[in-house]
Amino acid sequence: MGDSEYIIEMKHITKSFPGVVANNDVSISIKQGEIYALLGENGAGKSTIMSILFGMYEPDSGEIYIRGKKERISSPRYATKLGIGMVHQHFKLVSNYTVTENIILGMEPQNKLFGFIPRVDIKKANRDIAELSERYGLKVDPTSVISDLNVSTQQRVEILKMLYREADILIFDEPTAVLTPQEIESLLEIIRSLRDAGKTIIIITHKLEEIKAIADRCAILNRGKLIDVREVKDTSTAEMANLMVGRKVTFTVDKTEADPGNVVLRVEDLSVKDEMGHEAVKDVSFEIRSGEIFALAGVSGNGQNELVDAIAGLKKAEKGHIFLNDKDITESTVRERIESGLAYVPEDRQNVGLVMGYTLKDNLVLKDYYTDKYSSRTVIKDEAKAENGTRLIQEYDIRSGKGNDTIVSSMSGGNQQKAIIAREIEMNGRVVIFMQPTRGLDVGAISNIHKQIIDERDRGAAVLLISLELDEVMNCADTIGVIFDGRINRIAKASELTVEEVGRFMMGVEKGGES
Amino acid sequence: MKRFLVKLLGGKEYQMLRISIFSIVLGLLAGAVILLLIGENPLAAYMNLLQGSGLLPKRSYAGKQNMFTDFVQLLDAMTPMVFASLSVAVALKGGLFNIGVSGMMMASGFVASVLVGYSSLAAPIAKPLVLLIGIVTGAFVGSLIGWLKYKFNINEVVSAIMINYILMYVITFFINSYYVDAVSRQSKLIGESARLTLVDVRAMGLKFNIPLAFVLAIIAAFVIRFLMDRTTLGYEIKAVGLSRSAASYAGINIGRNILTTMMLSGALAGLAGVTYFCGYMGTIQPGVIPSMGFNAIAVALLGNSNPVGCIFASFLITIITRGSIYMSSQQGVEIELADVITAIILIFAACSEFFRMYVSRLEQEILANSQSVE
Repeated sequence: MGDSEYIIEMKHITKSFPGVVANNDVSISIKQGEIYALLGENGAGKSTIMSILFGMYEPDSGEIYIRGKKERISSPRYATKLGIGMVHQHFKLVSNYTVTENIILGMEPQNKLFGFIPRVDIKKANRDIAELSERYGLKVDPTSVISDLNVSTQQRVEILKMLYREADILIFDEPTAVLTPQEIESLLEIIRSLRDAGKTIIIITHKLEEIKAIADRCAILNRGKLIDVREVKDTSTAEMANLMVGRKVTFTVDKTEADPGNVVLRVEDLSVKDEMGHEAVKDVSFEIRSGEIFALAGVSGNGQNELVDAIAGLKKAEKGHIFLNDKDITESTVRERIESGLAYVPEDRQNVGLVMGYTLKDNLVLKDYYTDKYSSRTVIKDEAKAENGTRLIQEYDIRSGKGNDTIVSSMSGGNQQKAIIAREIEMNGRVVIFMQPTRGLDVGAISNIHKQIIDERDRGAAVLLISLELDEVMNCADTIGVIFDGRINRIAKASELTVEEVGRFMMGVEKGGES
Repeated sequence: MKRFLVKLLGGKEYQMLRISIFSIVLGLLAGAVILLLIGENPLAAYMNLLQGSGLLPKRSYAGKQNMFTDFVQLLDAMTPMVFASLSVAVALKGGLFNIGVSGMMMASGFVASVLVGYSSLAAPIAKPLVLLIGIVTGAFVGSLIGWLKYKFNINEVVSAIMINYILMYVITFFINSYYVDAVSRQSKLIGESARLTLVDVRAMGLKFNIPLAFVLAIIAAFVIRFLMDRTTLGYEIKAVGLSRSAASYAGINIGRNILTTMMLSGALAGLAGVTYFCGYMGTIQPGVIPSMGFNAIAVALLGNSNPVGCIFASFLITIITRGSIYMSSQQGVEIELADVITAIILIFAACSEFFRMYVSRLEQEILANSQSVE
């Protein structure tokens, strides 16, 4: 390629958004044919710097050299021309188009029908895509429709899309966030083989093991600044984590032995249908005692959502019973369940957990605004509401622009989650459900939430933790249940299971009973 | 230009008010272009708007009239508009689009006319009864729309449009069959004891049409504001309007909430109906859906769905709709063209939300630029 040793040089890049400097004088240089990782907490500026490289933003100042030549990358189209491709965290695929149609979109090969009517040469395209997927070992059927494919196959389509555009600089934005452990393995394998084929790869992530597993070098960003660039093989994960958060992080959660009491939540032969009318939860039974964390491990989409919705009352149970403190709540309304002590931190914090257009203080009373505490004869007590807000903001360190009166949609995801957790913990529930409580959060926030989950247990609550992160399950759980295809395959004490075992049950490789 | 816009419309203080006024001014400018095209003097035409609404003196007045009687007349026309826009605003807060205000108005006006308007009840009983019937009838139609949505998930816009027509034709049939006035081809004028506007009241040597319910409309706006901002019902309505999934997660019964919201919205539309048909008009024109119910949507948007904003927006829009009659007579502009100008101003009024978004985007842009300069 160029004379320079580096294929990409970004020099002194600064980019600010209203109220925040996302990149502050960041300079990175990437060698031809290496796997370069960008590590940092949420909001550290990793995605911003890559969006600049991909032409989605223009930097306020700084210079970019590609193959030694100074470039002004004004659009993703121009970036593509320079051979830069990007797989976004949320895939950009047309779901009712086939794999081929998605890949060729925007640069369709044409032929002439009857010699003069131009049309898309889909046969040639299909052949090309098949050949391309063969060459890079990315197994995909070019004619299948995107909506029929699972997440990891869709990701392969995104990769093929870059390759079809002859990209040799490939950017991956948190590629493993949506994948299962086994899928992550195979993705890392693909990335390695792409490097061996001469591609330059940049991977944005906050998972240290993955960096350790594949990256050659690693740049660590913190609050918009470049902290350090390290050779991965000479740096331990603990060191990387410390650089990333700027403080010591303990990886294993401090947790005493569980001291379970009475059964608080009991689910019996529960079956629930999904939106499409298919049975998503099949004859599930389990129980959680007070002072116990029951973690439900499983790959996304195996009935977890339906199961939790049925327990919370947002979805009707087809069959079976749910008991809270021996009271049958199967037919109870959401409010009745809340009043009998069911707290629930939902997965979708923006659409479910919070009313995004409401202020922080309004959201903090979302479940008890109507009680005597916050209203008398239907008139809301503004002072009580504001006091509650002020107190929770302090106790739970919820950061926002205007405190109580901040509209929550303007808050960061981590702080939105803090607000939900504050509200639910304050309910002092008998059962507390945490659904994917740490998704998309940074290391510091995660360990904080894990501590809160354990505190809830120690207070005597029965905790149901649903997580796709195996580490989280292994770290927090007293008891683990593994759900696959709507059934709980295995329930056992956490100490009796290894990560690999749980992984196998999650993938449905092993189907055992209770032990 | 961008900086100027931001300076004019940015910031937080009274932003909605400034944007609303800006929308109106733009509408007036657009209207001025049309007036210029047809060879009229826009300034004189707009003077006429104010003159026709009793805000500027006319050159001459008919007997026992002056600027003040015109102004009271304006308030008479504005009263139902305040109720109608509140009706739209409440529904909007609850995430619903009440396009059925017109039908609800007609229904309540008709029921009140038939039950009380043509009776011989004494005024102290008849007038409150008319208001009550208005509330009940409107609330009934509103809850019907809400129930259809709750029970069968029928989009409220579709059902409201259908119900508008059904009500209009049914009422037209009854008016033409039983209550028609042979001369005016409208329903017979209702009795004075039931009428919510005191007609031809003589005072200070002048004749006034005094809108009794005007004060009620103002009070209603403040009651609605209290209800929406300070009560659990308002909290629930707004929560459902902002996010149904979050509201149902919080234990709010969405179906019942939709029903309540539409009932409340309907009650307000009913009040608009009786103050319009049993107050301002005194009669119902068969075969025509009152346009006020649709104009109220623009008014509510101009007032940013804020109850007090609705009062001011109603005032502004009523000046234009009332004044346009005088304008057309003075300038020799056809009444249809006067309507076109009114409509253009209304369209710009309805765009106020767009301006707000546009300005906040400009603000961010400028902020980002200024930071990069530093």
